[in-house]
Amino acid sequence: MKTRHLFQFLVLLINLSAKVFAISLESISADVVLKNVDRSIDISSQIAKISHKITLENVGKKEVSSFLFAIDKLFEEKVAFLGGQPGSNLKVYRVKNQEHPDKQFWRIDLKEPLQQGKTTLVEIELVLSNALTAYPTKITQKEKQLVRFSGNHYLYSPYQVSKQTTTVNIGTRNVESYSKLSPVSQSDSVFNYGPYTQISPFSEDRMSIHYENNSPFLSVTSLVRTIEVSHWGNIAIEETIDLLHTGAQLKGPFSRYEYQREVQSGVSSVKAFKTILPAAASNVYYRDEIGNISTSHMRIMSDSVELDLRPRFPLFGGWKAHYILGYNVPSYEYLYNSGDYYKLKMRIVDHVFDDMIIDEAVTKIILPEGSDKITLTTPYPIERLPDSFHYTYLDTKGKPVVSIKLKNLVEHHIQDFEINYVFPRLLMFQEPILVATALYLLFLLVVVYVRLDFSITKDEQKENRMKISVLCDKVLEYHDKRAVTYTAFESCLAKLKQTKDVNSFMAATKIVNQDYKNECNHINELALKMKSDAPEMADKVMDLQKMDKCLREVYTYQQSLYVDRMVPGKISRGQFTDAENNLNKRKEDSIDKINAIIRSLH
Amino acid sequence: MKTTVSNPSGWKSLITFTVLLLAWLSGFSSRLFAVIRFESIIHEFDPWFNYRATAYMVQHGFYQFLNWFDERAWYPLGRIVGGTVYPGLMITSGGIHYVLHALNIPVHIRDICVFLAPVFSGLTAISTYLLTKELWSAGAGLFAACFIAIVPGYISRSVAGSYDNEGIAIFALQYTYYLWVKSVKTGSIFWSCLTALSYFYMVSAWGGYVFIINLIPLHVFVLLLMGRYSNRLFTSYTTFYILGLLFSMQIPFVGFQPIRTSEHMAASGVFALVLVVAVLKYMQSVLSKAEFKYFFTFAAVAAAAFVFLTVVILTYLGFIAPWSGRFYSLWDTGYAKIHIPIIASVSEHQPTTWFSFFFDLHILVTTFPVGLWYCIKDINDERVFVVLYAISAVYFAGVMVRLMLTLTPVVCMLAGVAFSRLFELFLKEEDGPAAAAAANAGDSDSDTEASGDHKSRNMYDKAGKLRKMKHEQQRDNEGLGMNIRTIVIVAVMMMLMMFAVHCTWVTSNSYSSPSIVLASYGQDGSRQILDDFREAYHWLSHNTDSDARVMSWWDYGYQIAGMANRTTLVDNNTWNNSHIALVGKAMSSKEEDAYKIMVSLDVDYVLVIFGGVIGYSGDDINKFLWMVRIAEGEHPKDIHESDYFSERGEFRVDAEGSQTLLNCLMYKLCYYRFGELKLDYRSPAGFDRVRNVIIGNKNFDLKYLEEAYTTEHWLVRIYRVKKESEFNRPRIPVADRSVRIADLTSKKARQRKKGSIKSKPTVVKGRKPAAKL
Repeated sequence: MKTRHLFQFLVLLINLSAKVFAISLESISADVVLKNVDRSIDISSQIAKISHKITLENVGKKEVSSFLFAIDKLFEEKVAFLGGQPGSNLKVYRVKNQEHPDKQFWRIDLKEPLQQGKTTLVEIELVLSNALTAYPTKITQKEKQLVRFSGNHYLYSPYQVSKQTTTVNIGTRNVESYSKLSPVSQSDSVFNYGPYTQISPFSEDRMSIHYENNSPFLSVTSLVRTIEVSHWGNIAIEETIDLLHTGAQLKGPFSRYEYQREVQSGVSSVKAFKTILPAAASNVYYRDEIGNISTSHMRIMSDSVELDLRPRFPLFGGWKAHYILGYNVPSYEYLYNSGDYYKLKMRIVDHVFDDMIIDEAVTKIILPEGSDKITLTTPYPIERLPDSFHYTYLDTKGKPVVSIKLKNLVEHHIQDFEINYVFPRLLMFQEPILVATALYLLFLLVVVYVRLDFSITKDEQKENRMKISVLCDKVLEYHDKRAVTYTAFESCLAKLKQTKDVNSFMAATKIVNQDYKNECNHINELALKMKSDAPEMADKVMDLQKMDKCLREVYTYQQSLYVDRMVPGKISRGQFTDAENNLNKRKEDSIDKINAIIRSLH
Repeated sequence: MKTTVSNPSGWKSLITFTVLLLAWLSGFSSRLFAVIRFESIIHEFDPWFNYRATAYMVQHGFYQFLNWFDERAWYPLGRIVGGTVYPGLMITSGGIHYVLHALNIPVHIRDICVFLAPVFSGLTAISTYLLTKELWSAGAGLFAACFIAIVPGYISRSVAGSYDNEGIAIFALQYTYYLWVKSVKTGSIFWSCLTALSYFYMVSAWGGYVFIINLIPLHVFVLLLMGRYSNRLFTSYTTFYILGLLFSMQIPFVGFQPIRTSEHMAASGVFALVLVVAVLKYMQSVLSKAEFKYFFTFAAVAAAAFVFLTVVILTYLGFIAPWSGRFYSLWDTGYAKIHIPIIASVSEHQPTTWFSFFFDLHILVTTFPVGLWYCIKDINDERVFVVLYAISAVYFAGVMVRLMLTLTPVVCMLAGVAFSRLFELFLKEEDGPAAAAAANAGDSDSDTEASGDHKSRNMYDKAGKLRKMKHEQQRDNEGLGMNIRTIVIVAVMMMLMMFAVHCTWVTSNSYSSPSIVLASYGQDGSRQILDDFREAYHWLSHNTDSDARVMSWWDYGYQIAGMANRTTLVDNNTWNNSHIALVGKAMSSKEEDAYKIMVSLDVDYVLVIFGGVIGYSGDDINKFLWMVRIAEGEHPKDIHESDYFSERGEFRVDAEGSQTLLNCLMYKLCYYRFGELKLDYRSPAGFDRVRNVIIGNKNFDLKYLEEAYTTEHWLVRIYRVKKESEFNRPRIPVADRSVRIADLTSKKARQRKKGSIKSKPTVVKGRKPAAKL
């Protein structure tokens, strides 16, 4: 604990020296008197929330526009937040004072300058993290957690205080001890200190309350929040969180039996906590490095999404856990644009659990590839880390990443940042074009590859075979055409049989015969070509021609039967059918033979 | 007119492509049950090591990986990982990771590991297709590819998340065989070089490469016996053997084994034999017949004697290692049980039951003999190979459940052959008569025709039609009527459909559990996830010192290393039997004896798996007898298996169990405070749901250990070993305590002065003075 505080202090010092130009020097005005101070300290959870109601009076001659607020030595490293009530828009600045260089001061601007002799009421909230220390620091599973709060009975103020009261809410009746600076009274879980009158500046009197506090003492030791903006309508948020139970450490064994059977066992342990996400959050995942954490529930409320997160195991004092929480939100709720100018407005950190403490947070905002002229505005000072690039699907030059680092955060820091950038709309088409080009090149490559011959030797045989098969294919092609002429011829004959019109038949068959002759010639030519390379194939083709001639003869015969004998009526019906059947049989015979040859040609 | 559409070879390749693509897709998606039901996670035990090693390689680079000395395993010995693993798996997924990240595709290495096996199952299907096509026909190949894509025998090892060597090795195996068959067929050096390269990949991926390096020589040997020697065989085998030998020796884990162990000797023997045969063949062409006869007898006797003597002498001198224990257990199923309990303790090393043959292969197991018969009937060089493959794989699958995996591809191939023949017989006929009718009756077949050109319908048969019936009608099948054919086809289709249903059912029910996430179903069907393993491992990884040493039984070693990132004493790489036996001894001794062992091993935490609360039967108590047996093997004086049985010879944890069992460390760690727990209102306290008994020893306390963490369902219990000072500290009763007074006098002065000192410390022998505490 101590070393961490020391470390924090060192970091704070470094920060201070880095920003020293930003801290102006202010002097303590003697004109201001605090007429009435009403403090209420809430230490029922793990953080100390101190709200001050300060009535200022201007007793000087000039008007006063601001005053100083000093931080107690004890709290110097623990201040997580100082400011007005939510919505009050109070302006506060860290300042230094020459007379008291060792003390921490904040300047608080009044809304309107205070006129001479007038009074005004200012409300200031101070949130302290790690202000409660477990005492004893180690407890067994059965014991309750006791903590100690150390503070100041008086307001640590650079001005004279006329009158002040303090109420302390500890949220329980079980009090071990408390400091008694009369007048003091206890009622239920609330202590009332004061009223004390006429307190001189910087007066101190140690207040100490030792009481039972079983509320979750959980702090996020490291939070990495990644916001990835996509212009396709989605913002992906992922938070990587390291948890530590900062309460009294567990001493001795952990007994599951007692933990399951006895209600009082392990009261200070954290079983589950609630995280509130934006209402539009979808696709929520809750996992760690070894996979999904199956113990979680999601409730969708009207204005938020509530996650009931249970770490894999209950967290006792000193135990750590680690998880990753991610979700998507639609971009129209957070991203605004006019033309190519975009503005993203989102929370710097979001809710992790109630009364949370975040020791260190890094928020990374990943903008679309090609974004330019990035400006960041934040509601409170942050440390900006050097920008970097993030590479993901289809990125060529990388997406710009804006990273900021924050320390010691509480719920009051859940505020929006704004980031402005320029993104040319045409760049939206970069990725689809990239994919299309890649696919195109791939196909082109395949096309080229298929057409190239990579063999180192020439296979003569194979080439020959290919040549012949090409020729065979051609023969078959012509043969097919020839078959068509036969069909045409057949239909002419059928027509003739019906109409008995010889002249038109002759005219029709003239063309058909011409076609037929052409095809026959083609095939003969091919057969000649084949003769040199594949004599046996050529023989087959010649056979084919021979059979074809037979078939042709049958047809000629049929034609003469029709034209010479049937049309003039020189033949009886019975004879005609006999002759025709005979012809058909011959036809079929030759067709079968032709088919057999064709089959062998394949 | 002929266009590309009517081109039959175009159709054929389109169909082939489509079927293979669909096989790949369906194979891939049926392996995703676990991912969809649970999540993308690495399963079981060994995959966790592979994943851890892959992640290490991706993070540190390949050469760092080869030099990796893992000090987190086998404490205090450590493990040289680079030299004791088959790196093929890690290189494959690491390579994919590298390529994807070079293209800016940020896929996590875990997802690559999870989906590697399903992706490779598609490649296996393709290589099976190629191999079957070489052996029989493309149709049989397509059947085989479809079978292997979904057959449970292969899915059992390749579901998403089961990131193990077998996932890629079966692909390498099939592809090597394909290339080998191709090279035997062509006799080209090119193909045998490719075979050797593929063999190299296989050697880098899985210890099962020994199967290849014995099967291929066997193939060659049988071909020689059958008198089928040819120059093609000579070229392909000699090229493959020399290159394969050199390649396989490049893997650090294999090293000089190929020339020094008996498992590899068959290959070199056959290599010598092939050379001798080649010389003889040459001689035959040079010498006269009588001379050759004389020469042949002499050469054969001399060569046989020489080879035999060389092997014997080299074995005797220790250059060749004798058979390893695992190898013996392949021949004698009882061997492991007697000599190496650690091998016998693994369930996947048990002999296969008949049931699991049917369970893993369904109808394929009945049809593959048919395919085998066809291959024998129509034998040629490459079919000899598949016959040998089938016979040897059947034998090995019968010996060990695990080797079912090598049987599965050949069963798929032969069943593919059988089904393809069957469909050829019964389906092709439909074409035949129709075409015949078309040929002789020009007008009767108009509706059986495809929508061809109408002009030629009546008259003349078309060439396009004829081409289809090119290779049929060799057999006379007039006896098969239309009805019989339809019935057979429908019946076979039904069987194939049932096969697909069975495969999906088996995959979904038996092989898709990640085993580190358990699911139970309530009475209303709601699902409850039991995530205790990860709960415990996550606790270990975040709430113990990063160099804490965790003792557990070896089953959980890889998971602890992978998920909790803590040092383990023993793990699933069971290379050191005596170390495992020491852990077994600690688990089976009494607490104080175990403490001595634990202190000597620097143990910080002890992890046990206890299923008694939820009824998880694979817990440590059920494995306990194996721990005792293994411990007894190394420490026969201290541990006796018989002590752990009751008088009636039963192993039981209730009041009748033996006292040794009820007081040993494992019992105490499992049942610590369990005796007080009532699971529900009806059952008594301390009722163990796995063994269905009330435990025998209820009220005991642990002296040397304390409960550090127990998961929600008590499945994993972690204990912290106390330091000596925590329990050995002498305690002074409160009444005797007195406030120490600072000793103001110096030691010198005190020695000289005489007088009495108030509350002088009484010195206890052997202890420090109490006042100094």
